[in-house]
Amino acid sequence: MRSEPQRFQPGNGLRLTPCGRTRREFLWEAGGGFAGTALTFLLAQDGFFGKTLHAAPGKSPALDHGAPHFPPQARACIFLFMYGGPSQMDLWDPKPELNKRDGQPMPNLNADPLLKLRKNRLGGLMGTPFSFRKWGESGIEVSELFPHQAECVDEMAVFRGTYADSFAHGSGLLQMNTGFLRQGHPSLGSWVTYGLGSENRNLPAYVVMVDHRGGPISGPPNWSSGFMPASYQGTQLRSEGDPILFLKPQEGVTPAQQSHQLRLLSRLNRMRGSAGPENSELMARIASYELAFRMQQSAPEAVDLARESKATRRLYGLEDPETEKFGRKCLIARRLVERGVRFIQVYSGGGHGDDTWDAHGNVVKNHTLHCRQTDLPIAGLLKDLKSRGLLESTLVVWAGEFGRTPTSQRGKGRDHSPRGFTTWMAGGGIRGGQVIGATDDFGYEAVEDKVHVHDLHATILHLMGLDHELLTYFHGGREMSLTDVHGQVIRKALA
Amino acid sequence: MIKRGLATAGIAAACGLVYASEPEPRFDAQVRPLLNQYCLQCHGENLQMGDLDLRTVSSMEKGGSQGPALVKGKAAESLLYQRVADHSMPQGEEKLEPEEIRLLAAWIDAGAPSDPLPVQADLEPAAVHLPSHWSFRPIRKPPVPSVRNRQWVQNPVDAFILSRLEENGIRPAAPADPGTLVRRLALVLTGLPPAWQESSRLPEGPGDPAYTRLVDELLGAPQYGERWARHWLDVVRYAESNGYERDGTKPHAWRYRDYVIDAFNRDKPFDRFLTEQLAGDEIEGTDAESQIATTFLRLGTWDDEPAEERQDRYEQLDDVLGTASSTFLGLTLRCARCHDHKFEPFSQEDYYRSLAFFEPLKRPKNLLKPRADLDRMVGTPEELERYRVATMNLEIQMENLQAEKKKLSRKIFDRLLSEGNSNRDLSWAHHAETVMAFRTPEERRTDEQKSLIRKFEERMDREILAAATAEEAERLRRWERELAQAKAEAPAEPPRAYVWYEDTPYPAATRVLLRGDPATPGDEVHPLVPTILGRPDLLSRLGPIEPTLDTSGRRRWLARWMTHPENPLVARVMANRIWQWVFGEGLVATENDFGVAGDAPSHPRLLDYLASEFIDSGWSVKHLIRLLAGSSTFAQSSAWNPQAAGVDDNNRLHWRWQPRRLEAEAVRDSMLAVSGSLNHSMHGPSMFPRIPDSVLAGQSMPGLNWGEPDPEQNLRRSIYIFVKRSLAVPELELLDSPDTTSSCEQRRVSTTGPQALTFLNGDFAHEQARRLARRVMRATGEERDNQVRGAFRMGLSRGPSPEELEAALDFLRVQEAQIRQDLTGTETIPVIRERALQSFCLTLLNTNEFFYLN
Repeated sequence: MRSEPQRFQPGNGLRLTPCGRTRREFLWEAGGGFAGTALTFLLAQDGFFGKTLHAAPGKSPALDHGAPHFPPQARACIFLFMYGGPSQMDLWDPKPELNKRDGQPMPNLNADPLLKLRKNRLGGLMGTPFSFRKWGESGIEVSELFPHQAECVDEMAVFRGTYADSFAHGSGLLQMNTGFLRQGHPSLGSWVTYGLGSENRNLPAYVVMVDHRGGPISGPPNWSSGFMPASYQGTQLRSEGDPILFLKPQEGVTPAQQSHQLRLLSRLNRMRGSAGPENSELMARIASYELAFRMQQSAPEAVDLARESKATRRLYGLEDPETEKFGRKCLIARRLVERGVRFIQVYSGGGHGDDTWDAHGNVVKNHTLHCRQTDLPIAGLLKDLKSRGLLESTLVVWAGEFGRTPTSQRGKGRDHSPRGFTTWMAGGGIRGGQVIGATDDFGYEAVEDKVHVHDLHATILHLMGLDHELLTYFHGGREMSLTDVHGQVIRKALA
Repeated sequence: MIKRGLATAGIAAACGLVYASEPEPRFDAQVRPLLNQYCLQCHGENLQMGDLDLRTVSSMEKGGSQGPALVKGKAAESLLYQRVADHSMPQGEEKLEPEEIRLLAAWIDAGAPSDPLPVQADLEPAAVHLPSHWSFRPIRKPPVPSVRNRQWVQNPVDAFILSRLEENGIRPAAPADPGTLVRRLALVLTGLPPAWQESSRLPEGPGDPAYTRLVDELLGAPQYGERWARHWLDVVRYAESNGYERDGTKPHAWRYRDYVIDAFNRDKPFDRFLTEQLAGDEIEGTDAESQIATTFLRLGTWDDEPAEERQDRYEQLDDVLGTASSTFLGLTLRCARCHDHKFEPFSQEDYYRSLAFFEPLKRPKNLLKPRADLDRMVGTPEELERYRVATMNLEIQMENLQAEKKKLSRKIFDRLLSEGNSNRDLSWAHHAETVMAFRTPEERRTDEQKSLIRKFEERMDREILAAATAEEAERLRRWERELAQAKAEAPAEPPRAYVWYEDTPYPAATRVLLRGDPATPGDEVHPLVPTILGRPDLLSRLGPIEPTLDTSGRRRWLARWMTHPENPLVARVMANRIWQWVFGEGLVATENDFGVAGDAPSHPRLLDYLASEFIDSGWSVKHLIRLLAGSSTFAQSSAWNPQAAGVDDNNRLHWRWQPRRLEAEAVRDSMLAVSGSLNHSMHGPSMFPRIPDSVLAGQSMPGLNWGEPDPEQNLRRSIYIFVKRSLAVPELELLDSPDTTSSCEQRRVSTTGPQALTFLNGDFAHEQARRLARRVMRATGEERDNQVRGAFRMGLSRGPSPEELEAALDFLRVQEAQIRQDLTGTETIPVIRERALQSFCLTLLNTNEFFYLN
C-alpha cells in the first residue's frame, strides 16, 4: 500500500476540510486564484495576518501559498487546444503503409469493440494526400500543412502515441481539460492556479480565449473549478472588445466618479470593521474592489496590441485576415505570460462541424482551413517566446481532444479516434527535437511509449513544479487529484 | 461471507462489527425466475386468471378464486406447490423440472422468505456489538444540563451551549441590538431583509412575545419556503439540465423545486419528505405530489452519448447512491465503488448492496428520440387510470362519429355525382381523376390521389353539405356538435413530471464490479444497508422487502429503514443541517460526512438532543427552527471578545454570533427587495435572466436552450432562475453558487476582482441602484440628509451613524461636482443630483454590510 501522501496545504497552518471550508477559507482562496497574491499581499501589508493567523508570524501566507513542490521548469503554460480532433496521419504521423493500402478494408476492425460499434460509419483505409518531409536538426517529419510549425520541431517533443478514452467530443474535451469523462472536476488550469497562485496583481491567473466562431462543446465546464472555489476557474478573456466581463463602467461613469465611489465604499466598510477573524474577509472585499478598479486599466492594456512592432505583428500573422483571429490570441497569450498570468488556454475551433477540426466530411478541406489559420501564429508564438527568452520558462502544449481514424468516412472524411493521436509540448523543461511514441502501421492505435491524457497532465504539473500525486483537494470524502489514481510523468520528454 | 469478512476484518474489528449470514433458497434469485418463466403470463401483470396474481408473496397469500395459493412454511398445503407438483399447472407443454419443483417446495417450507434479506434473524443477540463510532450509535435524548446563569437560558439549546461556555470560563456576548437581530432573523428565515417600516417597534429579543410572534410570522411567510428550499436544492444537486455535450433540458424539473418549496412552507414531516423523494412512486397513497418528489433521483448529470453504455449506467446509479447517502445519511459511501473505503468501515460489497436499492431504476431511453429524456404523467393510480379510460373512450367515440359521418357523406357524394343534371356546379370536381380519387377507398389511394383529396376535400365537404337533404344535414350537424362536445369534455391531462421509474418487480441482479469496472462483474449481491449500520434487531423489525405490483419495493424499504426512529444517522444529519442553515456551520462542520473521517460534533449532546426533539416533534423542521431562532445563543451580538477568543478562536462554542457572507441568491434577492422591484410571484416554470453575449459566446451553440428573458419574470427570486449546468448567471456564479454535479453541503466563499466588477459595473446592480435611488427620492424628498437616512434604512435596515451621514453627504457633494464636470451635455440639475444619489445607492449595495449576515 502506498503510504499516505502528504496533503498539499496552500497557505501556512490553514486547515482544509471537505469542500475546502473553514471560517478562514477565504484567505487561501483569495490567495489562490484570481489575482489572489495581490489580495493576500495587500492584506499582509496592511498587517492583519499577524492578528488573525497564529501560524508563522512574520511570514506572509501569500508567499507560502503557491510554493511548488520542487523547483519549476515552467512559470507559465499556454495550452493550444485544437477542438474537434486533428488528424494525426495528415499532420504529424506519416504512415507509408496506410498510403500504400489506400482503399483496402482495415484489418482487425472488429478487434476494437468501440470501433466496431461505429463500423457502419467507417469506409476503407484512407491514405493522406499530404506529403511529409524531414525538418530541423532533429529531422522530424511534418506534413506540408504545417510549414511554419515544422520550422520549430527542434523545440518540440512530439507525442505520437497519445491516447484518450472517449469517442465523443463532450467527454473527450472534459477528459483533456479535467482528467475525467464526467463533468464536475476542476480543470488543469484550476489545479495549476490552486497549486501555484498568481504572479500578477491585476489580472486573472487562469485565462481562456475561445474561438471567434464559438466555444467548445459543454462550454464553461471545460474551464470550471469543479468542486474547488470559484476563484480557481478560468476567466474568459475576449481578444476584441471588452476583454473581461463587466470590465467597462456603465455609460457616463468616469474613472474619477468611480474612484470617489470606491473611497466612500472603503470608508463605510472600515467604519463597520470587526475585530474578529472575519475582518480579514471583509478587508479582502475592500481589496477586491481596488483590484477591480486596477483591472479596468490593466486588462485592456494586456490585450492592446497597438504598441507591438510591425515585425511582431507580422510574425503572428496579424496582417493576413486568415491568420489574424488566432494570431491575436497567440500574441495576447505572450503578453499575458509577460504579465505573470499562470495558465492560458487558447481554442482553435468553435461551435460545431467544420468550424472545428471535426473533419467528418472532408479532411483536406477542413484541415487545410484550420492549419492555414493556426500554423503561422503558433510558429510565431514559439519564435517570439524564444527570441524574448521566455520559451525556457513557458510551456506550450498543442493538443485536441482526440485524433481521427485511418479509415475514411463519407468518402473523404475521417471519424473520431482516441486510440492513438499526436500531441506536442515545447518550451519550459521540455527536451525538444524528439519524437516519443508511435502508432501502429495505420496510425490507429498507440503501440509504443504510449502517453495517456493523465500522463500529459502529470507532466505539465511536473514541469510547473507540482507533483500530481501530492496536489490534492479533499472532496466528497477523499483526496481528489487531477490524475485520479493514474498518470506518470513522461520522463523521456524532460530536458 | 468469509471472504468479505476478511476483506474488511480490520475495519470490522475497529468498529465492533459482527457479520450475518444469508439463508437459502432465495426468492429473487431462484424463485422469481421460475414464476417468471412458468406462471406470470397468466397470473401476472396482464392477466390474473382465476383472480390469481403470483407477482408477490402477499398476493400469493391472498390467492384467487380457489383460495390462498401459498401457506407459508407448508408446501404441501400450498396450492402453488400442489398444482405444479401434479403437473396440472402450468397448462401447456412446458412443465417445471423436478429440481425446480423441489426448490419451490423448499422455499415455501422455509417460510417463503421475501426479498433478500435485510433480515439477519440468525444472528445471536449476544454477539451484537455496538459500533464504536459516535454517529453509528443509537440516538439517546440527553438530559438538559444545569447552568449557573439561568436567566440567559431561553430554551434547552441555550442550556447546552451555556454549560460548555461556563466549563470553559467564557461569557456569552451581549444581545444584538434589536435592529440587527430583526435583520438577521429575516435574512436567515426568508433570505430577504426586513421591510422598512418607519414607526414599528422592534421586538427586544427572544424573551419578548413580539419576537416569538415575528418568528412565527416569518416562518409562515411563503418566502420562508423559497429560502429554505434553496438550501435543500444545494444538497440534492438540483439542476434543470443534464450536463455534457448537449446539456439537454430536464422537462418539468421545476415541479420538484416547487414541491420542495411547498414542503418547507407546509412543514411536511421530514420522514415523509425523505420517503417521497426516495420512493414516492412506491408508497401507499402515491400521487402526483409524491411522484414529482422522486425527481430527486433524476436530478444528476447524464450523458446522452456515453463513450461506454455500461459504464454510463453505473455512473448514473453512483450519482443516485452517492447523493442519497450524503444527503440523508451523511456518508461518503461513494468512495467504496472501486475498493473498500480507505477511511470508513464500508466494504466494496456494502457499496454494491446499497447500489442494489437503485438498480431496478430503468435506464431512461426513448427509442424514438434516443437523446430525449423521459417525462411521465403523474397522479394516483386511479387518476391515471381514469384519464387513460377517458382518453380511450373519447377516441372510440370520435372514431364512431367520424365513421358515421363518413358513411353518410359518401352516400350524398355518390348521389351528387350520379345526378348528372344536378343544379350544383361540380365542374371543378368532374375531372375524372378527382372523382376517381374520391371514389377510391382511403387505404387504396395513390399519393397523387391523396394530394387531390387534400386539395378538394374542403370544397367537397361544402358541396356535400349543400346537397344533403334537410334530415341528412341535421344528422351531419348533430354529429359535428357531438364531436365538438366530446372534445371539449376531454379529461384534462394530468401534470407531467421528470421521473426515473421502475417497471417490474423483478430487477436484474446486482454484482460487485471488480475495481468498479462494469466489464469485470463479480459476485451477486442483494440490497442491504451498509453492514456496520445493519443492526439485526432493527432489520428484523422492518421485515423483508415487499415488492409492489410493478416495482421492486426496494426504495420504499430503504426509506423505512432511514426514517425509523432507531436509525442513528438521518435525524442527526438533518438536525445538523438545520443548525447549519441558521448558524452558518453545523455542529458537525462536515455536514455531508458523519463518518470516521468527518469532523466530530462540537456539541454531541446538543446534537442528540436536537435529533431526538426532531423525531419527537413529528420530524418538524419548523419546530427545530423555532428552538434555534428563539434562543439567546441566536440573539447574541457578533462582538469580538479577546478573552473568549483566547480559549476558542474559531467560536466553535458559540460565544458570539458568527457573521457570514450571504449566499448569491440572498444577495441578488435582497438587491431586488430593497430597490422595490422584487416580483413575489411563486412557482411555475423557471425564468431566464439576460446573460451578456460575451458569456454566451463561451458555449458551442450560444444561447441554446436558454429561454427568452422577460423583464417582469426576471424580477422574481433567484430560486426561480433556470439552473443550467453549462451556463451560469454571472451574478450568481461569481458569488459561489453551488456546483451541481454532486451534493453541495456548504457554499464556498471566494472574493475576487471579477466579483467586484460585476456588482460595480454590471447591468443588474446598476438597475437596482437606479430603482433604489428613485424609491428613496419618492419617500424622502429632495433633502440630501433625508435621502441618506432613507437609503440607509431601505438598504441596510438601519439609520446612519453621524459619521456615516457625514461621509455620505461629503460623497454626494463631491460626486455631484464630478458628474457636472464630466458631463458635456446639458443635463439639468435634478438629473445630476439623481445620478449622484444613484452612485451613492450603488455604493451602499456593495458594502460589506449588505453582503454579510451579521
